[in-house]
Amino acid sequence: MRKANLTAVSCAILAMGAVALAADSHKSATFTIASGGVINIENPNGSVTLHSANGRQLSVNSTAYSDKIEVDSSATPDGKRVEVLTHALPDQKPTGEELKADYDISVPSGVSVVVTTTTASITVDSVSGDLSLSSDTGQITVRDADNAQLHIRSVTGPVSLVNLNRLHAEIMSTGGNVQLVRVSGPKVKVSSTSGNIGYQGDFAGGGAYSLVTHSGAINVLLAETASVDLSAHSVHGSVENDFPLSEKRHQVYVPTQGRSLVGTAHSGSSSVELRSFNGKIRVKKQ
Amino acid sequence: MNCKQFQEVLPYIIETGGNPEEEEHLRSCQACSDLVNELQYIAEQAKLLLPMHDPHPRVWSNVEQSLQREGLIREGRTPRLGHLAVITEAAPRRAWTPLGLGMATAAVLALAMVLVNFPARQPGVLQGSKGVSAAVQQPATQFEGEDKALLGEISQHRPEVSSAYQDSLGQINSYIADAQKAVDADPADANAHALLMDAYDQKAMLYEMGTVRSLD
Repeated sequence: MRKANLTAVSCAILAMGAVALAADSHKSATFTIASGGVINIENPNGSVTLHSANGRQLSVNSTAYSDKIEVDSSATPDGKRVEVLTHALPDQKPTGEELKADYDISVPSGVSVVVTTTTASITVDSVSGDLSLSSDTGQITVRDADNAQLHIRSVTGPVSLVNLNRLHAEIMSTGGNVQLVRVSGPKVKVSSTSGNIGYQGDFAGGGAYSLVTHSGAINVLLAETASVDLSAHSVHGSVENDFPLSEKRHQVYVPTQGRSLVGTAHSGSSSVELRSFNGKIRVKKQ
Repeated sequence: MNCKQFQEVLPYIIETGGNPEEEEHLRSCQACSDLVNELQYIAEQAKLLLPMHDPHPRVWSNVEQSLQREGLIREGRTPRLGHLAVITEAAPRRAWTPLGLGMATAAVLALAMVLVNFPARQPGVLQGSKGVSAAVQQPATQFEGEDKALLGEISQHRPEVSSAYQDSLGQINSYIADAQKAVDADPADANAHALLMDAYDQKAMLYEMGTVRSLD
């Protein structure tokens, strides 16, 4: 009797496994993409992971978790545009969970990448070039890249940038927190409505850095070697600083004690603007 | 006034409006505002069932008695729906069809179910983003014009992120209002101008993200 039960349970587990496997659909595709080409990726739910690739071969690996959807990959004959997208099969109305798919894509250098998701996370590892990443609520992570042009838009998803040099970046998030660690470049602009903004590093590169939020906090952990021309202002919040700054001789506006701060460190090669309406701004020595 | 007290007198104020205290609670409480929206929707749908046919006063009387028995309304304060039951003797007598009567009964029962089952949540424990001020907790009904249309589109096409957009739009509108106030207070304040521009950029981004994907 006990053996029969065990057999029945085993059969059930195997059957469930078979159903699960049948629902998962793995696909691989490879394309030759021209230098300066564009890859457009649309995946509502699940994940999108991008890696760097050598040569001109762009490879796409995808897993769809429902038989109501399909992942399509295609390229134009001249190799200048590649499209990868998740879509519902005819006569199917997948739920959000059934729209889930995971992408793993290797991207050659010199390619523009556009990624659009709803809840899917976006992770970009060591990919340079022009990156436009947009997600409603998915986490966006970009790390270990040099000379990237980054455009990020998020509604409530958190954004994390780590180890990025020579960066041109514009990051907008309404409610998600934005964290930058060892990020530097000629222009870095972060704007949020209610999300917190964190920066850890030295604002290197003689760039223009702007961190702005309405009600979130701005926390800056500044390396001792930082060469910055820093201004911080909060309309109704507070400004705290324990980083040694020299007073500026010429100022655009007169700082208000506790609500604004102006000063330079070393030669002041990078301009750093921190603005908040209600949030607290803290500048600390790393 | 808390949610429980408000919902006890809800049947009387759903169409006629309440006293200042009740209206203040309605403005500040998203849970009760949502409940009122649901009830108004049900009431509107019930009206559409037989717009030209007023039921016999006995029907309303029975409904009222049923609601009183259930403890949903108190004697002495007639619900607004009861006023519809005024029929002059000269008016032609028109009977409800069985289907119409059944649907109307279903609508009344649905209304009663909503009233009974809707959780009486206390102010201050509403779901929302951490650290979001009361002003930011803007009920969907307080959005107007294009904002309302945008949220409607998103709710229809991408319901899983509907609340994220609603919260964000409320926050951005608060941002714009705050920055505009700062500019009005000191038109020479460059910082206030920069914040106002940033607030509008945020709103433009949200519209672009919401609109483009709703068209997919």
